[in-house]
Amino acid sequence: MADKFLKRENLGRLIDSVRNGGARFVAPAIDARQAVYRAISGADEVTWDYILPRNSFKDYLFPQTEVVAEYSIGEGGVEIRGRELSPKDTVVFGSRPCEAASLASLRSVFTWDSVDEFYTAREDKTTVVTVACTNGDEACFCTTVGLSPESVAGSDVMLRETADGDFSVTAITGRGRGFLSAHSAAFEDSGSGSAQKPLFVPEKIEGVDISRIKERLARKEHYDDPVWAGLTRKCIGCGACTFVCPTCHCFDIIDEGTAFEGERRKNWDACQFDSFTLHASGHNPRDAQFKRWRNRFMCKFNFYPNKFNSRGCVGCGRCIRVCPVRLDITEVMEEMSR
Amino acid sequence: MENAVREKAKGLLTSGEVKVVIGWGWNRNGTRTTPVFITRPEDAGRLVWNPLCVNNLSVYLTRKFKDIQALGRPAIVAKGCDIKNIAVLVSEAQVKREDVYIIGVTCDGVVYRQELWKGELTPNIMPTKCHNCDVRNPHIADCVIGDRSGFVPPEAPAGMVFDRIKALDAKESAQRWEFWIKEFSRCVKCYACRQVCSLCYCERCITEKNMPQWIETSAHPRGNLSWNLTRAMHLAGRCTFCGECERACPVNIPLNLVNQKLITVVKDAFDYRSGYDASAHPPMIVFSPEDKENFIK
Amino acid sequence: MGEHTEHTQTTGNSSEPRIMAFVCNWCTYAGADLAGTSRMEYRPNVRVIKLPCTGRIDPLFIIKAFENGADGVLVSGCHPGDCHYTTGNYHARRRWIAFKNLMEFVGIDMRRLHFSWVSASEAIKWVDLINNVTEEVGKLGPFMEYKGLGAQAVE
Repeated sequence: MADKFLKRENLGRLIDSVRNGGARFVAPAIDARQAVYRAISGADEVTWDYILPRNSFKDYLFPQTEVVAEYSIGEGGVEIRGRELSPKDTVVFGSRPCEAASLASLRSVFTWDSVDEFYTAREDKTTVVTVACTNGDEACFCTTVGLSPESVAGSDVMLRETADGDFSVTAITGRGRGFLSAHSAAFEDSGSGSAQKPLFVPEKIEGVDISRIKERLARKEHYDDPVWAGLTRKCIGCGACTFVCPTCHCFDIIDEGTAFEGERRKNWDACQFDSFTLHASGHNPRDAQFKRWRNRFMCKFNFYPNKFNSRGCVGCGRCIRVCPVRLDITEVMEEMSR
Repeated sequence: MENAVREKAKGLLTSGEVKVVIGWGWNRNGTRTTPVFITRPEDAGRLVWNPLCVNNLSVYLTRKFKDIQALGRPAIVAKGCDIKNIAVLVSEAQVKREDVYIIGVTCDGVVYRQELWKGELTPNIMPTKCHNCDVRNPHIADCVIGDRSGFVPPEAPAGMVFDRIKALDAKESAQRWEFWIKEFSRCVKCYACRQVCSLCYCERCITEKNMPQWIETSAHPRGNLSWNLTRAMHLAGRCTFCGECERACPVNIPLNLVNQKLITVVKDAFDYRSGYDASAHPPMIVFSPEDKENFIK
Repeated sequence: MGEHTEHTQTTGNSSEPRIMAFVCNWCTYAGADLAGTSRMEYRPNVRVIKLPCTGRIDPLFIIKAFENGADGVLVSGCHPGDCHYTTGNYHARRRWIAFKNLMEFVGIDMRRLHFSWVSASEAIKWVDLINNVTEEVGKLGPFMEYKGLGAQAVE
């Protein structure tokens, strides 16, 4: 049952209310002919015409490049200054259920062993407002990985579009309830009574069986199965799939600057790059593209579920849309379900 | 025509003349084409040919793809524009002409990006390279499949690559700077532009050389600028304008503008166009004492 | 850190322009040397990096110079026909034709990037060149557009 209602024309009121409270409002906007998550200042910037934004909202939790420390060498010796992180409250509006579900995956990896405060500090300040999917495309496969166009995992507030274009609003978490009461002026207590707009439900891919994939990947024999080389031969080894993926989280630490001053940065890295596992000795344990691809697949369907008991793949389909050679992960999933 | 491609592939594989045919096939749903590697004659039926066959498959002939080379002598299904890249690979001693069997296909144009396809190839979903194509009938091939294309290039819609270059050239340098910094600022350093390019065949790219780190790996505007300048520069006089980098770019950076700009510079300064003659020396490895410029004081 | 190394500031708004010059060993450097031994005075804003030949100058050097805070860059070597290695400067010239046009296309102000031929005997040309380049770049002020590129706030 809906807690509140949001009229589409009142989005501006919501944006103002969020921004006046000192928070950042992130929503899909058109940039270079694509919908992308961006910090928004007014409702006219927001686009409704999107399936998923090009980038994942992990950009706002785990930025592509960020300074973690600065160093300088002067008269007094070496000085290292850590970065005090005081992230802004952020509202991510217009997320999708698949993407919201990735939050648990990111948190599991960033809080395992040591806690990555750069991530957790931001996530703690983020409110996710998800809009249930009323459109999608053939790359969508959330239902195949056990999610749906209205699953609520990871969302703080869930919006469902009604036939007349407004939204019914449900608070999912305590943070979500806080959000609704803090910005109550933007919401209505009752709706027009109009029915919910039909959801876009991607057809579950028949040949895929996640538990069978897990089982197969758990047996070591699959490792040398020639099927891998055949399936992923066309992969050209770019990092596009990992960079748009909401659960991919690998990064590299580099120092940038002169010998005397500079900064230490944390930059996204991708397991698809051939230098990703290159050792200083020159040895590379993943010396062929299919091994790197196998790793990506293993990470999503073996390491994540086994190690963290969380989801490595949320079925958003971004990697399929963005792949220059149309290497479709669901085709590999289908093969690995055999 | 599609059947002729299949028959040819089947014949080549059956006779053992080649061990693998690199071509295009359908994805599972039959909605997009994707590269396929046919090694058995009975699989030749998977090959397709249509305006969605946009990938330049010549990238798979480069030394980055060792496991494809391990399959044995390849045949490649190629459009005229793809063959240009093979010609450059031959001229740069990356591929021996006799080591690859080129199945040339005559072509009336492809889509700029597959997601634009609505069942019909119209000028406004074609890339600039198709509007200005002069290799609809493959210029280098072991066999050519398809009737000779008498296709007259359609009037290029306004606002395509050449118009945009002209418009940029007419601006003040500060405005061009603003334009490019904004475009490059979206770069996510996924290197899809490099990986999809058959002429970016270095096994160790300059960006991966980190002692010293010549190109900052951070995707901030400074690192992005230096990467994009270097990429363009390394392709000067070599790029054939196949457009794969721009197509692969997940953030829509107009790389075709930079590439075509340098192609024009090389054409004007050295009277050279890459990809037409596999025996020609690439312009940046040779010189002429008569080279003209007006900026070295 | 050895005391021989100068602390290189990458920022700063000093009105004195900083010019980075990449020169070849055999002509331009010798020309600059001649200016020195002849006690000619010229603007002190230039930092000279000597390379064997202009053919050794990778375009990345120029990008790197701007990244590291140069307000202007000068590239100079032997006149065509005079290369110590016979053809290095001809190769360099081809490369610069492409690179100069690329830099211009992305919007680098060409008053910040200079190319010149200076022979071993042209001390006076070197002196004039440095004075002119310093003057021209000085008028433009610090290359803030480039220096500002690295800074990016992440919240």
